[in-house]
Amino acid sequence: MASSSGNDDDLTIPRAAINKMIKETLPNVRVANDARELVVNCCTEFIHLISSEANEICNKSEKKTISPEHVINALESLGFGSYIAEVKDVLQECKTVALKRRKASSRLENLGIPEEELLRQQQELFAKARQQQAELAQQEWLQMQQAAQQAQLEAASASAAQQASSSQDEDEEDDM
Amino acid sequence: MSGDNVDAKVAPNSKNISLPVSRVKLIMKSSPDVSNINQDALFLTTKATELFVQHLARSSFKNGSGKKNTLSYSDLANAAEAMENFQFLTDILPKKILARDYLKTLEDRQEEDEI
Repeated sequence: MASSSGNDDDLTIPRAAINKMIKETLPNVRVANDARELVVNCCTEFIHLISSEANEICNKSEKKTISPEHVINALESLGFGSYIAEVKDVLQECKTVALKRRKASSRLENLGIPEEELLRQQQELFAKARQQQAELAQQEWLQMQQAAQQAQLEAASASAAQQASSSQDEDEEDDM
Repeated sequence: MSGDNVDAKVAPNSKNISLPVSRVKLIMKSSPDVSNINQDALFLTTKATELFVQHLARSSFKNGSGKKNTLSYSDLANAAEAMENFQFLTDILPKKILARDYLKTLEDRQEEDEI
Protein backbone atom coordinates (compact mmCIF):
# COMPACT_ATOMS: atom_id res chain seq x y z
CA MET A 1 0.00 0.00 0.00
CA ALA A 2 1.42 3.39 -0.91
CA SER A 3 1.57 5.26 2.35
CA SER A 4 1.17 8.99 2.63
CA SER A 5 4.75 9.30 3.80
CA GLY A 6 5.72 8.41 0.25
CA ASN A 7 8.12 5.69 1.29
CA ASP A 8 8.74 3.62 -1.81
CA ASP A 9 9.58 0.57 0.21
CA ASP A 10 6.01 0.39 1.44
CA LEU A 11 4.71 -0.29 -2.03
CA THR A 12 3.34 -3.77 -2.25
CA ILE A 13 0.78 -5.73 -4.17
CA PRO A 14 -2.59 -5.55 -2.41
CA ARG A 15 -3.00 -8.31 0.12
CA ALA A 16 -6.39 -9.32 -1.27
CA ALA A 17 -4.94 -10.04 -4.70
CA ILE A 18 -2.24 -12.25 -3.20
CA ASN A 19 -4.73 -14.06 -0.97
CA LYS A 20 -6.89 -14.79 -3.97
CA MET A 21 -3.97 -16.18 -5.92
CA ILE A 22 -2.81 -18.36 -3.07
CA LYS A 23 -6.34 -19.67 -2.65
CA GLU A 24 -6.57 -20.51 -6.33
CA THR A 25 -3.15 -22.17 -6.34
CA LEU A 26 -3.56 -24.08 -3.10
CA PRO A 27 -7.24 -24.66 -2.56
CA ASN A 28 -8.19 -26.15 0.79
CA VAL A 29 -4.85 -25.20 2.29
CA ARG A 30 -4.75 -23.08 5.39
CA VAL A 31 -2.11 -20.42 5.10
CA ALA A 32 -0.74 -18.66 8.14
CA ASN A 33 -1.06 -14.90 8.19
CA ASP A 34 2.62 -14.27 8.50
CA ALA A 35 3.17 -16.57 5.54
CA ARG A 36 0.78 -14.46 3.48
CA GLU A 37 2.60 -11.34 4.53
CA LEU A 38 5.84 -12.94 3.45
CA VAL A 39 4.44 -13.79 0.02
CA VAL A 40 3.37 -10.17 -0.42
CA ASN A 41 6.89 -9.00 0.31
CA CYS A 42 8.44 -11.68 -1.88
CA CYS A 43 6.34 -10.32 -4.72
CA THR A 44 7.76 -6.87 -4.33
CA GLU A 45 11.22 -8.32 -4.16
CA PHE A 46 10.63 -10.33 -7.31
CA ILE A 47 9.40 -7.28 -9.21
CA HIS A 48 12.50 -5.34 -8.18
CA LEU A 49 14.67 -8.25 -9.24
CA ILE A 50 13.12 -8.49 -12.69
CA SER A 51 13.04 -4.71 -13.13
CA SER A 52 16.70 -4.27 -12.30
CA GLU A 53 17.80 -7.11 -14.52
CA ALA A 54 15.60 -6.00 -17.39
CA ASN A 55 16.81 -2.46 -16.92
CA GLU A 56 20.44 -3.56 -17.17
CA ILE A 57 19.70 -5.52 -20.31
CA CYS A 58 17.88 -2.48 -21.66
CA ASN A 59 20.81 -0.18 -20.95
CA LYS A 60 23.17 -2.55 -22.75
CA SER A 61 20.89 -2.56 -25.76
CA GLU A 62 21.08 1.24 -25.91
CA LYS A 63 17.33 1.49 -25.95
CA LYS A 64 15.61 3.90 -23.63
CA THR A 65 12.53 1.90 -22.82
CA ILE A 66 12.37 -1.54 -21.27
CA SER A 67 10.73 -3.76 -23.84
CA PRO A 68 9.03 -7.16 -23.54
CA GLU A 69 12.17 -8.68 -25.02
CA HIS A 70 14.26 -7.29 -22.17
CA VAL A 71 11.88 -8.71 -19.59
CA ILE A 72 11.96 -12.13 -21.22
CA ASN A 73 15.75 -12.14 -21.30
CA ALA A 74 15.80 -11.08 -17.66
CA LEU A 75 13.58 -14.00 -16.72
CA GLU A 76 15.91 -16.34 -18.57
CA SER A 77 19.09 -15.06 -16.98
CA LEU A 78 17.59 -15.12 -13.49
CA GLY A 79 16.57 -18.76 -13.80
CA PHE A 80 12.89 -18.18 -14.41
CA GLY A 81 12.98 -19.50 -17.95
CA SER A 82 10.07 -21.78 -17.16
CA TYR A 83 7.82 -18.74 -16.97
CA ILE A 84 8.63 -17.56 -20.46
CA ALA A 85 6.13 -19.66 -22.39
CA GLU A 86 3.12 -18.45 -20.42
CA VAL A 87 4.42 -14.92 -20.34
CA LYS A 88 4.68 -14.93 -24.11
CA ASP A 89 1.02 -15.89 -24.29
CA VAL A 90 0.18 -12.65 -22.52
CA LEU A 91 2.24 -10.76 -25.06
CA GLN A 92 0.27 -12.37 -27.86
CA GLU A 93 -2.97 -11.44 -26.16
CA CYS A 94 -1.83 -7.84 -25.75
CA LYS A 95 -1.22 -7.61 -29.46
CA THR A 96 -4.61 -9.16 -30.22
CA VAL A 97 -6.40 -6.75 -27.90
CA ALA A 98 -4.61 -3.79 -29.43
CA LEU A 99 -5.50 -4.99 -32.89
CA LYS A 100 -9.16 -5.46 -31.96
CA ARG A 101 -9.26 -1.98 -30.50
CA ARG A 102 -7.87 -0.44 -33.66
CA LYS A 103 -10.36 -2.38 -35.80
CA ALA A 104 -13.24 -1.38 -33.57
CA SER A 105 -12.47 2.31 -33.75
CA SER A 106 -12.12 2.30 -37.53
CA ARG A 107 -15.31 0.25 -37.90
CA LEU A 108 -17.16 2.85 -35.90
CA GLU A 109 -15.97 5.59 -38.22
CA ASN A 110 -17.16 3.64 -41.25
CA LEU A 111 -20.60 2.74 -39.89
CA GLY A 112 -21.42 6.39 -39.60
CA ILE A 113 -22.51 8.45 -42.56
CA PRO A 114 -19.61 9.92 -44.51
CA GLU A 115 -18.90 13.58 -44.01
CA GLU A 116 -20.01 14.82 -47.44
CA GLU A 117 -23.40 13.21 -47.00
CA LEU A 118 -23.77 14.76 -43.57
CA LEU A 119 -22.88 18.15 -45.04
CA ARG A 120 -25.43 17.73 -47.79
CA GLN A 121 -28.13 16.82 -45.30
CA GLN A 122 -27.25 19.84 -43.27
CA GLN A 123 -27.56 22.16 -46.25
CA GLU A 124 -30.92 20.64 -47.07
CA LEU A 125 -32.17 21.28 -43.58
CA PHE A 126 -30.97 24.88 -43.72
CA ALA A 127 -32.70 25.44 -47.06
CA LYS A 128 -35.91 24.00 -45.71
CA ALA A 129 -35.74 26.19 -42.69
CA ARG A 130 -35.13 29.28 -44.77
CA GLN A 131 -38.09 28.43 -46.96
CA GLN A 132 -40.35 27.95 -43.97
CA GLN A 133 -39.23 31.28 -42.61
CA ALA A 134 -39.93 32.96 -45.92
CA GLU A 135 -43.40 31.45 -46.14
CA LEU A 136 -44.17 32.50 -42.62
CA ALA A 137 -43.04 36.04 -43.33
CA GLN A 138 -45.13 36.16 -46.48
CA GLN A 139 -48.21 34.97 -44.63
CA GLU A 140 -47.79 37.63 -42.03
CA TRP A 141 -47.38 40.26 -44.76
CA LEU A 142 -50.54 39.11 -46.48
CA GLN A 143 -52.44 39.18 -43.24
CA MET A 144 -51.23 42.68 -42.58
CA GLN A 145 -52.27 43.76 -46.04
CA GLN A 146 -55.68 42.22 -45.66
CA ALA A 147 -56.12 43.88 -42.33
CA ALA A 148 -55.09 47.19 -43.82
CA GLN A 149 -57.48 46.77 -46.71
CA GLN A 150 -60.24 45.85 -44.37
CA ALA A 151 -59.57 48.93 -42.35
CA GLN A 152 -59.59 51.07 -45.46
CA LEU A 153 -62.90 49.62 -46.58
CA GLU A 154 -64.48 50.21 -43.28
CA ALA A 155 -63.22 53.73 -43.18
CA ALA A 156 -64.49 54.32 -46.70
CA SER A 157 -67.96 53.00 -46.02
CA ALA A 158 -68.16 54.95 -42.84
CA SER A 159 -67.38 58.21 -44.58
CA ALA A 160 -69.67 57.25 -47.44
CA ALA A 161 -72.49 56.74 -44.99
CA GLN A 162 -71.77 60.09 -43.44
CA GLN A 163 -71.78 61.80 -46.82
CA ALA A 164 -75.04 60.17 -47.68
CA SER A 165 -76.71 61.39 -44.56
CA SER A 166 -75.32 64.91 -44.94
CA SER A 167 -76.53 65.18 -48.57
CA GLN A 168 -79.92 64.04 -47.45
CA ASP A 169 -79.91 66.88 -45.06
CA GLU A 170 -79.13 69.23 -47.92
CA ASP A 171 -82.04 67.84 -49.90
CA GLU A 172 -84.30 68.33 -47.03
CA GLU A 173 -83.12 71.88 -46.76
CA ASP A 174 -83.93 72.48 -50.40
CA ASP A 175 -87.41 71.28 -49.94
CA MET A 176 -88.16 73.77 -47.29
CA MET B 1 5.73 5.86 -19.93
CA SER B 2 3.84 5.47 -23.13
CA GLY B 3 0.12 4.95 -23.22
CA ASP B 4 -1.27 5.60 -19.81
CA ASN B 5 -4.66 4.69 -21.16
CA VAL B 6 -4.49 1.48 -19.18
CA ASP B 7 -5.21 3.11 -15.88
CA ALA B 8 -7.39 0.23 -14.82
CA LYS B 9 -6.12 -1.86 -12.01
CA VAL B 10 -6.23 -4.97 -14.10
CA ALA B 11 -5.24 -5.42 -17.71
CA PRO B 12 -8.34 -4.79 -19.80
CA ASN B 13 -9.98 -7.65 -21.63
CA SER B 14 -7.45 -10.02 -20.21
CA LYS B 15 -8.59 -13.02 -18.27
CA ASN B 16 -4.99 -14.00 -17.76
CA ILE B 17 -3.83 -11.28 -15.44
CA SER B 18 -5.26 -10.83 -11.97
CA LEU B 19 -2.67 -8.66 -10.26
CA PRO B 20 -3.12 -4.90 -10.48
CA VAL B 21 -0.91 -3.66 -13.30
CA SER B 22 -0.81 -0.10 -12.01
CA ARG B 23 0.64 -1.24 -8.70
CA VAL B 24 3.28 -3.34 -10.42
CA LYS B 25 4.19 -0.27 -12.43
CA LEU B 26 4.65 1.77 -9.25
CA ILE B 27 6.88 -0.86 -7.73
CA MET B 28 8.98 -1.15 -10.86
CA LYS B 29 9.45 2.59 -11.02
CA SER B 30 10.60 2.66 -7.42
CA SER B 31 13.55 0.49 -8.42
CA PRO B 32 16.70 2.57 -8.69
CA ASP B 33 17.63 3.68 -12.20
CA VAL B 34 14.57 2.20 -13.84
CA SER B 35 13.21 4.80 -16.18
CA ASN B 36 10.77 3.91 -18.92
CA ILE B 37 8.82 0.73 -19.26
CA ASN B 38 6.93 -0.30 -22.35
CA GLN B 39 3.28 -1.09 -21.66
CA ASP B 40 3.54 -4.65 -22.92
CA ALA B 41 6.69 -5.19 -20.87
CA LEU B 42 4.64 -4.11 -17.87
CA PHE B 43 2.01 -6.74 -18.58
CA LEU B 44 4.72 -9.35 -18.97
CA THR B 45 6.24 -8.46 -15.62
CA THR B 46 2.84 -8.62 -13.97
CA LYS B 47 2.20 -12.04 -15.43
CA ALA B 48 5.66 -13.23 -14.40
CA THR B 49 4.96 -12.04 -10.86
CA GLU B 50 1.75 -14.04 -10.80
CA LEU B 51 3.58 -17.12 -11.96
CA PHE B 52 6.14 -16.48 -9.27
CA VAL B 53 3.50 -16.39 -6.54
CA GLN B 54 2.04 -19.64 -7.77
CA HIS B 55 5.47 -21.19 -8.05
CA LEU B 56 6.51 -20.07 -4.58
CA ALA B 57 3.28 -21.24 -2.99
CA ARG B 58 3.33 -24.62 -4.67
CA SER B 59 7.00 -25.34 -3.99
CA SER B 60 6.76 -24.26 -0.38
CA PHE B 61 3.75 -26.45 0.15
CA LYS B 62 5.37 -29.44 -1.51
CA ASN B 63 8.53 -29.17 0.60
CA GLY B 64 6.34 -28.38 3.54
CA SER B 65 6.67 -29.25 7.15
CA GLY B 66 4.32 -32.14 6.61
CA LYS B 67 1.39 -30.68 8.49
CA LYS B 68 -1.46 -31.49 6.22
CA ASN B 69 -3.08 -28.65 4.40
CA THR B 70 -1.24 -25.83 6.07
CA LEU B 71 1.36 -23.50 4.72
CA SER B 72 3.48 -21.80 7.31
CA TYR B 73 6.03 -19.04 7.34
CA SER B 74 8.85 -21.52 7.82
CA ASP B 75 7.68 -23.52 4.80
CA LEU B 76 8.26 -20.46 2.71
CA ALA B 77 11.55 -19.63 4.34
CA ASN B 78 12.79 -23.16 3.77
CA ALA B 79 11.75 -23.12 0.13
CA ALA B 80 13.56 -19.82 -0.35
CA GLU B 81 16.78 -21.31 0.97
CA ALA B 82 16.42 -24.60 -0.82
CA MET B 83 15.72 -23.39 -4.31
CA GLU B 84 18.35 -21.64 -6.33
CA ASN B 85 15.88 -19.36 -8.05
CA PHE B 86 14.57 -18.14 -4.76
CA GLN B 87 17.92 -17.21 -3.25
CA PHE B 88 17.19 -13.54 -3.73
CA LEU B 89 14.48 -13.89 -1.09
CA THR B 90 16.87 -14.75 1.68
CA ASP B 91 17.63 -11.06 1.91
CA ILE B 92 14.22 -10.21 3.22
CA LEU B 93 13.67 -13.24 5.37
CA PRO B 94 15.94 -12.52 8.31
CA LYS B 95 14.41 -9.09 8.72
CA LYS B 96 11.01 -10.60 9.28
CA ILE B 97 11.53 -11.74 12.79
CA LEU B 98 8.37 -12.94 14.38
CA ALA B 99 7.39 -10.85 17.33
CA ARG B 100 7.11 -13.84 19.58
CA ASP B 101 10.58 -15.02 18.61
CA TYR B 102 11.99 -11.62 19.37
CA LEU B 103 10.26 -11.49 22.70
CA LYS B 104 11.59 -14.95 23.48
CA THR B 105 15.10 -13.76 22.63
CA LEU B 106 14.62 -10.89 25.04
CA GLU B 107 13.36 -13.23 27.72
CA ASP B 108 16.31 -15.55 27.23
CA ARG B 109 18.68 -12.64 27.54
CA GLN B 110 16.97 -11.47 30.68
CA GLU B 111 17.27 -14.89 32.20
CA GLU B 112 20.97 -14.95 31.39
CA ASP B 113 21.42 -11.59 33.10
CA GLU B 114 19.64 -12.76 36.18
CA ILE B 115 21.84 -15.79 36.61
